[in-house]
Amino acid sequence: MDFLSRLFGRAPQGEPVVIVSGLPRSGTSMMMKMLEAGGLSVLTDGERVADVDNPKGYYEVERVKNLEKETDKSYVREARGKVLKVISFLLKFLPDDNDYRIIFMRRDLNEVLASQNKMLKHRQETGGTADDKAMTEHYLNHLASIRVMARKKENWQVLEVRYDEAVKDGKSVAKQINQFLGGKLDEAKMSEAVDAELYRNRKDKIAKG
Amino acid sequence: MFGFGKNVSVKIDKDLYARVVKVADVAGYATADEFIAHVLEKEMLHFEDSKSDEDIRAKLKGLGYIS
Repeated sequence: MDFLSRLFGRAPQGEPVVIVSGLPRSGTSMMMKMLEAGGLSVLTDGERVADVDNPKGYYEVERVKNLEKETDKSYVREARGKVLKVISFLLKFLPDDNDYRIIFMRRDLNEVLASQNKMLKHRQETGGTADDKAMTEHYLNHLASIRVMARKKENWQVLEVRYDEAVKDGKSVAKQINQFLGGKLDEAKMSEAVDAELYRNRKDKIAKG
Repeated sequence: MFGFGKNVSVKIDKDLYARVVKVADVAGYATADEFIAHVLEKEMLHFEDSKSDEDIRAKLKGLGYIS
Protein backbone atom coordinates (compact mmCIF):
# COMPACT_ATOMS: atom_id res chain seq x y z
CA MET A 1 0.00 0.00 0.00
CA ASP A 2 2.84 2.32 0.91
CA PHE A 3 4.52 1.52 -2.37
CA LEU A 4 1.31 2.12 -4.34
CA SER A 5 0.57 5.41 -2.62
CA ARG A 6 4.11 6.56 -3.31
CA LEU A 7 3.73 5.55 -6.92
CA PHE A 8 0.31 6.99 -7.63
CA GLY A 9 -0.06 9.63 -4.93
CA ARG A 10 -2.71 9.83 -2.25
CA ALA A 11 -6.38 9.44 -3.12
CA PRO A 12 -8.46 12.46 -2.03
CA GLN A 13 -10.75 11.89 0.93
CA GLY A 14 -13.86 13.88 0.07
CA GLU A 15 -14.06 17.64 0.41
CA PRO A 16 -11.25 19.01 2.54
CA VAL A 17 -11.87 20.29 6.04
CA VAL A 18 -10.86 23.93 6.26
CA ILE A 19 -9.03 24.47 9.53
CA VAL A 20 -8.28 27.85 11.07
CA SER A 21 -5.35 27.46 13.41
CA GLY A 22 -2.59 29.28 15.24
CA LEU A 23 -1.69 30.14 18.80
CA PRO A 24 -4.56 31.43 20.94
CA ARG A 25 -4.86 35.22 20.46
CA SER A 26 -3.24 35.19 17.03
CA GLY A 27 -6.36 36.24 15.14
CA THR A 28 -8.06 32.87 14.64
CA SER A 29 -11.54 34.18 15.56
CA MET A 30 -11.14 37.09 13.15
CA MET A 31 -10.19 34.63 10.41
CA MET A 32 -13.26 32.49 11.20
CA LYS A 33 -15.38 35.61 10.83
CA MET A 34 -13.73 36.45 7.50
CA LEU A 35 -14.39 32.97 6.12
CA GLU A 36 -17.98 33.00 7.33
CA ALA A 37 -18.50 36.38 5.67
CA GLY A 38 -16.92 34.99 2.51
CA GLY A 39 -19.58 32.28 2.31
CA LEU A 40 -18.08 29.23 4.04
CA SER A 41 -20.10 27.26 6.57
CA VAL A 42 -18.56 27.51 9.98
CA LEU A 43 -18.76 24.67 12.48
CA THR A 44 -19.43 26.08 15.95
CA ASP A 45 -21.58 25.04 18.88
CA GLY A 46 -21.84 28.56 20.29
CA GLU A 47 -21.03 27.22 23.75
CA ARG A 48 -18.24 29.71 24.45
CA VAL A 49 -19.98 33.04 24.22
CA ALA A 50 -18.52 36.41 23.25
CA ASP A 51 -16.76 38.29 26.04
CA VAL A 52 -14.37 41.20 26.57
CA ASP A 53 -11.49 39.23 25.02
CA ASN A 54 -13.44 38.16 21.95
CA PRO A 55 -16.34 40.61 21.55
CA LYS A 56 -17.40 39.00 18.27
CA GLY A 57 -17.39 35.43 19.53
CA TYR A 58 -14.99 32.50 19.63
CA TYR A 59 -16.31 30.31 16.79
CA GLU A 60 -15.35 27.15 18.64
CA VAL A 61 -16.59 23.60 19.00
CA GLU A 62 -16.20 22.56 22.62
CA ARG A 63 -15.43 18.95 21.70
CA VAL A 64 -12.32 19.99 19.77
CA LYS A 65 -10.69 20.98 23.07
CA ASN A 66 -10.62 17.30 23.92
CA LEU A 67 -9.02 16.24 20.64
CA GLU A 68 -5.85 15.08 22.41
CA LYS A 69 -7.65 12.63 24.70
CA GLU A 70 -10.71 11.54 22.75
CA THR A 71 -10.33 8.34 20.73
CA ASP A 72 -13.45 8.73 18.55
CA LYS A 73 -12.63 11.64 16.27
CA SER A 74 -15.07 10.69 13.51
CA TYR A 75 -17.04 13.91 14.18
CA VAL A 76 -14.29 15.86 12.42
CA ARG A 77 -15.64 14.41 9.15
CA GLU A 78 -18.74 16.55 9.65
CA ALA A 79 -16.51 19.52 8.94
CA ARG A 80 -15.72 18.39 5.38
CA GLY A 81 -16.43 21.39 3.17
CA LYS A 82 -16.77 23.56 6.28
CA VAL A 83 -14.49 25.51 8.61
CA LEU A 84 -13.36 24.31 12.00
CA LYS A 85 -11.16 26.16 14.47
CA VAL A 86 -8.36 24.05 15.98
CA ILE A 87 -5.59 25.73 17.96
CA SER A 88 -2.05 24.90 16.85
CA PHE A 89 -1.28 22.65 19.82
CA LEU A 90 -4.11 20.29 18.85
CA LEU A 91 -3.32 20.04 15.12
CA LYS A 92 -1.18 16.95 15.62
CA PHE A 93 -4.21 15.12 17.05
CA LEU A 94 -6.40 15.61 13.97
CA PRO A 95 -7.41 12.26 12.44
CA ASP A 96 -5.66 11.39 9.19
CA ASP A 97 -8.82 10.29 7.36
CA ASN A 98 -9.55 13.81 6.11
CA ASP A 99 -7.79 16.26 3.83
CA TYR A 100 -7.08 19.58 5.49
CA ARG A 101 -6.61 23.09 4.14
CA ILE A 102 -5.09 24.86 7.11
CA ILE A 103 -5.06 28.63 7.42
CA PHE A 104 -2.40 29.22 10.04
CA MET A 105 -2.46 32.61 11.75
CA ARG A 106 0.88 34.16 12.69
CA ARG A 107 1.25 37.13 15.01
CA ASP A 108 4.12 38.82 16.79
CA LEU A 109 4.79 36.65 19.86
CA ASN A 110 5.05 39.66 22.19
CA GLU A 111 1.55 40.65 21.11
CA VAL A 112 0.28 37.08 21.51
CA LEU A 113 1.68 36.81 25.03
CA ALA A 114 0.43 40.27 26.07
CA SER A 115 -3.05 39.37 24.85
CA GLN A 116 -2.93 35.92 26.50
CA ASN A 117 -1.82 37.46 29.80
CA LYS A 118 -4.74 39.90 29.72
CA MET A 119 -7.13 37.08 29.01
CA LEU A 120 -5.73 34.99 31.87
CA LYS A 121 -6.25 37.95 34.18
CA HIS A 122 -9.87 38.32 33.05
CA ARG A 123 -10.39 34.61 33.63
CA GLN A 124 -8.58 34.78 36.99
CA GLU A 125 -6.26 31.98 35.91
CA THR A 126 -2.47 31.70 36.16
CA GLY A 127 -1.78 29.58 33.06
CA GLY A 128 1.14 27.75 34.65
CA THR A 129 4.45 28.96 36.03
CA ALA A 130 6.50 29.66 32.88
CA ASP A 131 7.37 33.33 32.36
CA ASP A 132 7.05 35.20 29.06
CA LYS A 133 10.68 34.55 28.11
CA ALA A 134 10.29 30.79 28.55
CA MET A 135 6.92 30.82 26.77
CA THR A 136 8.42 32.70 23.83
CA GLU A 137 11.03 29.97 23.48
CA HIS A 138 8.40 27.24 23.84
CA TYR A 139 6.15 28.85 21.24
CA LEU A 140 9.02 29.31 18.77
CA ASN A 141 9.87 25.62 19.05
CA HIS A 142 6.21 24.69 18.85
CA LEU A 143 5.70 26.74 15.68
CA ALA A 144 8.82 25.21 14.12
CA SER A 145 7.55 21.73 14.94
CA ILE A 146 4.23 22.51 13.21
CA ARG A 147 6.14 23.51 10.07
CA VAL A 148 8.10 20.26 10.18
CA MET A 149 4.86 18.32 10.65
CA ALA A 150 3.19 20.18 7.79
CA ARG A 151 5.94 19.02 5.44
CA LYS A 152 5.42 15.41 6.47
CA LYS A 153 1.63 15.29 6.30
CA GLU A 154 0.39 14.47 2.82
CA ASN A 155 -3.18 15.40 3.73
CA TRP A 156 -2.27 18.92 4.92
CA GLN A 157 -1.98 22.06 2.84
CA VAL A 158 -1.02 25.08 4.88
CA LEU A 159 -1.29 28.80 4.22
CA GLU A 160 0.31 31.09 6.77
CA VAL A 161 -1.43 34.44 7.24
CA ARG A 162 -0.01 37.28 9.28
CA TYR A 163 -2.56 38.90 11.57
CA ASP A 164 -1.13 42.41 11.16
CA GLU A 165 -1.24 42.07 7.37
CA ALA A 166 -4.86 40.89 7.47
CA VAL A 167 -5.78 43.96 9.54
CA LYS A 168 -3.72 46.31 7.37
CA ASP A 169 -4.66 44.94 3.97
CA GLY A 170 -7.75 42.75 4.26
CA LYS A 171 -8.33 42.83 0.51
CA SER A 172 -5.00 41.24 -0.41
CA VAL A 173 -5.26 38.66 2.34
CA ALA A 174 -8.84 37.80 1.31
CA LYS A 175 -7.62 37.30 -2.26
CA GLN A 176 -4.77 35.06 -1.12
CA ILE A 177 -7.11 32.95 1.04
CA ASN A 178 -9.69 32.68 -1.71
CA GLN A 179 -7.04 31.37 -4.12
CA PHE A 180 -5.90 28.86 -1.50
CA LEU A 181 -9.45 27.58 -0.95
CA GLY A 182 -10.47 27.28 -4.58
CA GLY A 183 -11.71 30.75 -5.56
CA LYS A 184 -15.40 30.57 -4.62
CA LEU A 185 -15.44 33.03 -1.72
CA ASP A 186 -16.72 36.61 -1.63
CA GLU A 187 -13.49 38.55 -1.16
CA ALA A 188 -15.18 41.92 -0.63
CA LYS A 189 -17.26 40.58 2.25
CA MET A 190 -14.23 38.85 3.70
CA SER A 191 -12.21 42.05 3.86
CA GLU A 192 -15.21 43.95 5.28
CA ALA A 193 -15.27 41.48 8.18
CA VAL A 194 -11.84 42.64 9.37
CA ASP A 195 -12.25 44.89 12.38
CA ALA A 196 -9.03 46.85 12.96
CA GLU A 197 -10.39 48.16 16.28
CA LEU A 198 -9.97 44.69 17.74
CA TYR A 199 -6.21 44.84 17.12
CA ARG A 200 -5.62 46.10 20.65
CA ASN A 201 -2.35 44.53 21.78
CA ARG A 202 0.08 46.01 19.27
CA LYS A 203 3.81 45.62 19.73
CA ASP A 204 4.44 49.39 19.47
CA LYS A 205 1.99 49.99 22.34
CA ILE A 206 3.38 47.08 24.37
CA ALA A 207 6.93 48.47 24.01
CA LYS A 208 5.76 51.85 25.37
CA GLY A 209 4.22 49.96 28.31
CA MET B 1 28.32 1.61 8.64
CA PHE B 2 26.91 -0.73 11.28
CA GLY B 3 23.26 -1.74 11.43
CA PHE B 4 22.72 -1.93 7.70
CA GLY B 5 19.09 -1.19 6.96
CA LYS B 6 18.66 1.05 9.99
CA ASN B 7 20.55 4.03 8.60
CA VAL B 8 19.76 6.47 5.85
CA SER B 9 22.04 8.77 3.88
CA VAL B 10 21.62 12.53 4.00
CA LYS B 11 23.17 14.90 1.49
CA ILE B 12 24.95 17.95 2.84
CA ASP B 13 27.23 20.55 1.33
CA LYS B 14 30.77 19.22 0.71
CA ASP B 15 32.49 22.16 2.42
CA LEU B 16 30.20 21.89 5.42
CA TYR B 17 31.00 18.19 5.65
CA ALA B 18 34.74 18.94 5.60
CA ARG B 19 34.25 21.36 8.52
CA VAL B 20 32.14 18.77 10.35
CA VAL B 21 34.90 16.15 9.97
CA LYS B 22 37.49 18.53 11.43
CA VAL B 23 35.34 19.56 14.40
CA ALA B 24 34.26 15.96 15.07
CA ASP B 25 37.91 14.92 15.21
CA VAL B 26 38.91 17.77 17.55
CA ALA B 27 35.88 17.16 19.78
CA GLY B 28 36.78 13.49 20.14
CA TYR B 29 33.96 11.87 18.25
CA ALA B 30 34.76 8.48 16.70
CA THR B 31 33.30 9.50 13.35
CA ALA B 32 31.69 12.50 11.68
CA ASP B 33 28.47 10.45 11.53
CA GLU B 34 28.50 10.07 15.30
CA PHE B 35 29.01 13.81 15.73
CA ILE B 36 26.20 14.69 13.31
CA ALA B 37 23.82 12.24 15.01
CA HIS B 38 24.65 13.74 18.41
CA VAL B 39 24.07 17.32 17.22
CA LEU B 40 20.77 16.34 15.60
CA GLU B 41 19.60 14.49 18.71
CA LYS B 42 20.29 17.60 20.79
CA GLU B 43 18.49 19.82 18.29
CA MET B 44 15.48 17.50 18.14
CA LEU B 45 15.03 17.89 21.89
CA HIS B 46 13.99 21.49 21.24
CA PHE B 47 11.09 20.22 19.18
CA GLU B 48 10.20 17.28 21.38
CA ASP B 49 10.83 18.89 24.77
CA SER B 50 8.21 17.58 27.20
CA LYS B 51 8.68 20.53 29.58
CA SER B 52 7.81 22.81 26.69
CA ASP B 53 4.60 20.86 26.02
CA GLU B 54 3.78 20.89 29.73
CA ASP B 55 4.11 24.70 29.93
CA ILE B 56 2.09 25.23 26.75
CA ARG B 57 -0.59 22.85 28.00
CA ALA B 58 -0.87 24.76 31.31
CA LYS B 59 -1.16 28.07 29.46
CA LEU B 60 -3.83 26.75 27.08
CA LYS B 61 -5.84 25.24 29.92
CA GLY B 62 -5.80 28.55 31.74
CA LEU B 63 -6.98 30.28 28.60
CA GLY B 64 -9.76 27.72 28.13
CA TYR B 65 -8.53 26.32 24.81
CA ILE B 66 -7.99 22.70 25.89
CA SER B 67 -9.78 20.42 28.36
